[in-house]
Amino acid sequence: MTTASVRPSTGKNTGSGNIPDLKLSVFHCFNALPDLSVLDIPGCELSSINLPCSSILREVVLLKAFESGADAVVVLVCPEGSCDYQQGNLRAKKRVERVQKLLKEIGIGNDRLRIHNLSRQDIDTAEKIIRQTLADLKKTGQNPAPQPVGSEKR
Amino acid sequence: MIVGEQKPLGEIKTNVSPYHRLLILGCGTCVKTCFAGGEDEVATLASALRLAFKQEGRIMQITEQTIERQCEDEFIREAAPQVARCDAVLSLACGAGVQMVASRFPGVPVLPGVNTTFLGVLEKQGLFTEKCLGCGSCFVHQFAGVCPLSRCAKKLLNGPCGGSRNGKCEVDPETDCAWQLIIDRAKAAGSLDRLVDYIPPKDWRTSYAGGPRKVFREDYVI
Amino acid sequence: MNISRLQNILSAGQFAVTAEVGPPRGANSEVIKKKALLLQDCVDAINVTDNQTAIVRMSSISACTHLVNLGLEPVMQMVTRDRNRIALQSDIMGAYSLGIRNILCLSGDHQTFGSEPGAANVYDIDSVHLIRTLKVMRDEGMDMSGHDLDVAPKMFIGAAENPFADPFEYRVIRLAKKIQAGVDFIQTQCVFDMERFKKWMKMAYEKGLTEKVHILAGVTPLKSAKMARYMATRVSGITIPDAIIKRMESAHRETAAEEGIRICLEIIQELAGIKGLRGIHIMAIDWEEKVPEIVKAAGLFPRPVIA
Repeated sequence: MTTASVRPSTGKNTGSGNIPDLKLSVFHCFNALPDLSVLDIPGCELSSINLPCSSILREVVLLKAFESGADAVVVLVCPEGSCDYQQGNLRAKKRVERVQKLLKEIGIGNDRLRIHNLSRQDIDTAEKIIRQTLADLKKTGQNPAPQPVGSEKR
Repeated sequence: MIVGEQKPLGEIKTNVSPYHRLLILGCGTCVKTCFAGGEDEVATLASALRLAFKQEGRIMQITEQTIERQCEDEFIREAAPQVARCDAVLSLACGAGVQMVASRFPGVPVLPGVNTTFLGVLEKQGLFTEKCLGCGSCFVHQFAGVCPLSRCAKKLLNGPCGGSRNGKCEVDPETDCAWQLIIDRAKAAGSLDRLVDYIPPKDWRTSYAGGPRKVFREDYVI
Repeated sequence: MNISRLQNILSAGQFAVTAEVGPPRGANSEVIKKKALLLQDCVDAINVTDNQTAIVRMSSISACTHLVNLGLEPVMQMVTRDRNRIALQSDIMGAYSLGIRNILCLSGDHQTFGSEPGAANVYDIDSVHLIRTLKVMRDEGMDMSGHDLDVAPKMFIGAAENPFADPFEYRVIRLAKKIQAGVDFIQTQCVFDMERFKKWMKMAYEKGLTEKVHILAGVTPLKSAKMARYMATRVSGITIPDAIIKRMESAHRETAAEEGIRICLEIIQELAGIKGLRGIHIMAIDWEEKVPEIVKAAGLFPRPVIA
């Protein structure tokens, strides 16, 4: 599992005063989408986490993304029936659902975590999904569980 | 295995709120197999609690450790260093493990994070069902291998009640009528006629009704 | 020497008629006394239920005692759901001392159905154990522990059977078991599905069981189509054929009750012709006032007096 921050924070330079960038973590199965670096989306600090199979995702990893200050988490998996490892995407779906339930109980909101099936290499749809997530986030607002005091991000 | 379910997050959060340095102690045996309190569940719960407290502007320090079993000193000892550094332990073991940990660390609040339910099996993917009451004098062979004490809601020993319908129990239409199961198995084994025999009342002394029980294997003590 | 009036009637080969009343949800004994007095001349004995459907009511033993004091003949129903063997044996002795002479043994509806779903249940013994206990007390003068009783309670022992529950093939085996344990009479769940009931009676007759136990068929008059539908779908152990539900639904609201009584009388007539059947048990829930009318219209009035 490789983690790469694709876009550095451009926080205060977005031109809209001191509204910080929205932080988005994208976990993507390598087969669904190998690389997000081609995307250029302003106002967004995008973390891309590449997985050999979406089934590698443990619930705690999704939660830790929120602990680290992500405002939303998107999981991109292969369409049902075409997982190279048979049921990897189905397992990922179940885990996402369990974490969504937890997020709701915590009070952060289950809508901040979403899973999408993506046809292989369909970067255009991936971009649409990310942009839509950001648009929805503008209404929902930032992660209500702020970063710990002393953190550089916020 | 012993089957249990993790308590709802809200309940756990309320119970641990008075503390500041929490140790979540998992168990690698029964509760791990029913997805209630193993290492993964400990990690998920720790993260969820931290997030939940953060949301209220509070930092809750949480450490995590999972030991093989919480019903044996040999493994509980491994948790001693972590226990010493916390002000409360949230144990995800079954009720037996929680109490054992509590008794080994007097003075440290030990809170249960799992609701222990029954002695059961993994019937099929995701489904755990109750099978044994722990009556202390097993007689399932008299019932074609199906226990009427744990699986019949009325603990009937001499045949089904009038509420058995389509092989299901009147109490819960998704629960099999134990007596239907017993009769079907007896029929298949050609021993249906044995079910005419009068089964006398159960002696409950060997069960929990006789008081908390113990088994002492002196033959294993050095 | 027969133990009870009910036993008198049945031993004399008469077609018996029993009915049922439920004690009040409170301490007022007047209602049950009134209901029982309504029935007194048209039945041979009156069942008094024991916290039926697990709803807390005045106890069966006390309600039965009220009836005894009025000169009536109760059948005390006893469920094993709420009391252990200590309490049950204790109540049997007390019941006999109070003049009660018939006991019907039941396991009892599960407590989750009733007014106290959170209560712990007992089910220390089952209805077959209870039958055996009554028999040993009566015929050997001993309680379950083998202790000799100073005065043995001598009860006419009854139990229930449900020919409409599953598994069907086991129902007759269970009847045989109860007979072996010592039961004297059986009251069945109410009959609407005549075909299934006849099949069960035939099996019992062919096995010689109808000679060993007095079987009384349960009947219930339907008040309305709503009641018919409710009983068919929500009450466990009751089957009502579509044809009967349709008849109730086709009747006008005002005449539905009459149709219900008509159906009941048709059922009674057909039951009377079944080999091995020794009587009927009328369960007119909250409609006890109709029982005299039904008994009379069925040609079963007046009730025989056996010396």
